[in-house]
Amino acid sequence: MGVAEPVTLGGALPLRRRAIPSLKVGRLEKIGLAVLALTTIGALAAPLLAPYAPTLPVSAGPLLKPSAAHLLGTDDLSRDIASRVLYGIRSSWFSAIAVIASGVLIGGLIGLVAGFKGGWVDTVLMRITDLFLALPGPILAIAIVASLGPSLPHTLLAVGVVWWPWYARIVRGEVRALMVRPHIDAARLARIGRMRLAFRHALPGALPAVLVTASLDVGNLVLTLAGLAFIGLGAPPPAPELGSMVAQGLPYFFGQPWVCLAPAVAIFVLAFAANLAGDGIRDLLRHT
Amino acid sequence: MARLVLSRLAALAVILLALSAIVFALEAMIPSDPVRAMVGASATKEAVAAKRHELGFDKPLPVQYVRFLGRAATGNLSDSLRTRRPVVTDLGNFLPATLELAGAAAIIAAVLGGLLGIATARGKGTAPRLLMLAGASAPPFLLALALLMLFYSKWHILPSSGRLSSSITPPAGPTGLLVIDGLVHGRFDVVSDALWHLALPAFCLALGPAVALGRTLRSSLQTVLTQDHIRTARAKGLKERTVLLRHALRSALNAPLTMGGLQVGLLLAGVVVIESVFAWPGVGLYTVQSISSTDFPAVAGVTLVLGALYVVINSLVDLAQIVADPRLRAA
Repeated sequence: MGVAEPVTLGGALPLRRRAIPSLKVGRLEKIGLAVLALTTIGALAAPLLAPYAPTLPVSAGPLLKPSAAHLLGTDDLSRDIASRVLYGIRSSWFSAIAVIASGVLIGGLIGLVAGFKGGWVDTVLMRITDLFLALPGPILAIAIVASLGPSLPHTLLAVGVVWWPWYARIVRGEVRALMVRPHIDAARLARIGRMRLAFRHALPGALPAVLVTASLDVGNLVLTLAGLAFIGLGAPPPAPELGSMVAQGLPYFFGQPWVCLAPAVAIFVLAFAANLAGDGIRDLLRHT
Repeated sequence: MARLVLSRLAALAVILLALSAIVFALEAMIPSDPVRAMVGASATKEAVAAKRHELGFDKPLPVQYVRFLGRAATGNLSDSLRTRRPVVTDLGNFLPATLELAGAAAIIAAVLGGLLGIATARGKGTAPRLLMLAGASAPPFLLALALLMLFYSKWHILPSSGRLSSSITPPAGPTGLLVIDGLVHGRFDVVSDALWHLALPAFCLALGPAVALGRTLRSSLQTVLTQDHIRTARAKGLKERTVLLRHALRSALNAPLTMGGLQVGLLLAGVVVIESVFAWPGVGLYTVQSISSTDFPAVAGVTLVLGALYVVINSLVDLAQIVADPRLRAA
């Protein structure tokens, strides 16, 4: 599964240190970031950009070759593939971000409480986290969606359930390391509240590590979600989803390869850009 | 060390229990009524109630869970709603094909990952890094489709689907793994044909894990190469090759081993996708067909078996690391 590489950032350094941090990011990583920025804009504007409706047949007919009117051709149900791919990217991209966000929220909260409280709370929470880490995430996700029934919210829920433990571990580790630092002692001596201490003084120190892990994770998540959709565990048809579009185009592969290649390549480009950008963000934060 | 091994075994038992509890909870959660599905829609209320009582579905959930555990431990899972056979029987039929595919993929991943890691350990080049990143970003089905296009429809070198050509009858072998059965029976036509069919799916399944292994090995080799004992080895005048393979590799193996254990999960999940592209008659294809006919008992059985396999393999990796690396015994 998307195994987030455990990241340690040599203690926790503040985000703002270098005036122009982008100097440390390679050109390829910049391209990745640019592609992702474009993707986000394209995903938001998909309803404006898509030349046709993604779920309705066009009049031109089924399984047409790519042409000027239909840039990526049409599928077996006479739908414009370019429009479907555009909407599919929108769905993949936002789904990946939603799962990451939920993983960061759940894992972050558990890790923060464990690291902040220490003692038996820490032990119990981390044993539970380890238990989840020891279970095969992708296989469990398949079982969870299959039992709830395929739909996009169920898929996101299932993947979210198996995706948080890494974040809990990372946040917990960073918070533990921070708790012995002088600024926490100083804040304690100033008698500030515990919530404020946890969220304003401990949590921000864990942010760089979480941000790096999350950005390296997006590519994995795009692939995992596409795989689930491919085996029929994403949004049910006729929703334009990249993974299920590939599966649906499979019978036509040897005659009309573009039907399944277009969405498959779109997934690759999205994951590749995400991975490049993730490397870029890691370099950026490492050098601060 | 015995205590350490015992504690790992205890942890393994807890994890397996948790896995079974999750699968049980999911099975209890499915919206459709398994008893209704079994007796049919036209059954009378009494018949449904009788069947429910017979299967123990009228008992409280904890009691049901204990019974479920007992049945699972004796290798007795429920019946598949689609094939109408016990899920264990189905798994018995489909598992060998999957084990052969996953085993071949694991070997390819280990070799390829090792080569990638060693070959790129000392370079800072952009090309290998970019290539690995691309490998990590390719969805398995895109790879499968691209390779099918080249090796099957363009060059006609490799077959597109299945485990054996239809002209060959498989030997009634002891393992169900065609390559091994062929060797046992001395049927080398079977061995070569099976390997021919394995090549594409196993490679597609292996690439993701291979890249993950290669990246981990690369970074851990890079760390080791800065250490003092490497400087000493170089100062002795050893060849760089010897330094890398004899002195650096062994102490750099820990992280890749852990990563290898984790990649088994990816491999077993990837099986589902790859088997459906290559019509490989294994557990993955069985899962996809079960999903599309909402046959949850079958999916639950697959989850239990593959999940247990993953957990056990990871425990073994863990133990192997304790045995191989004395530094871990202190912890």
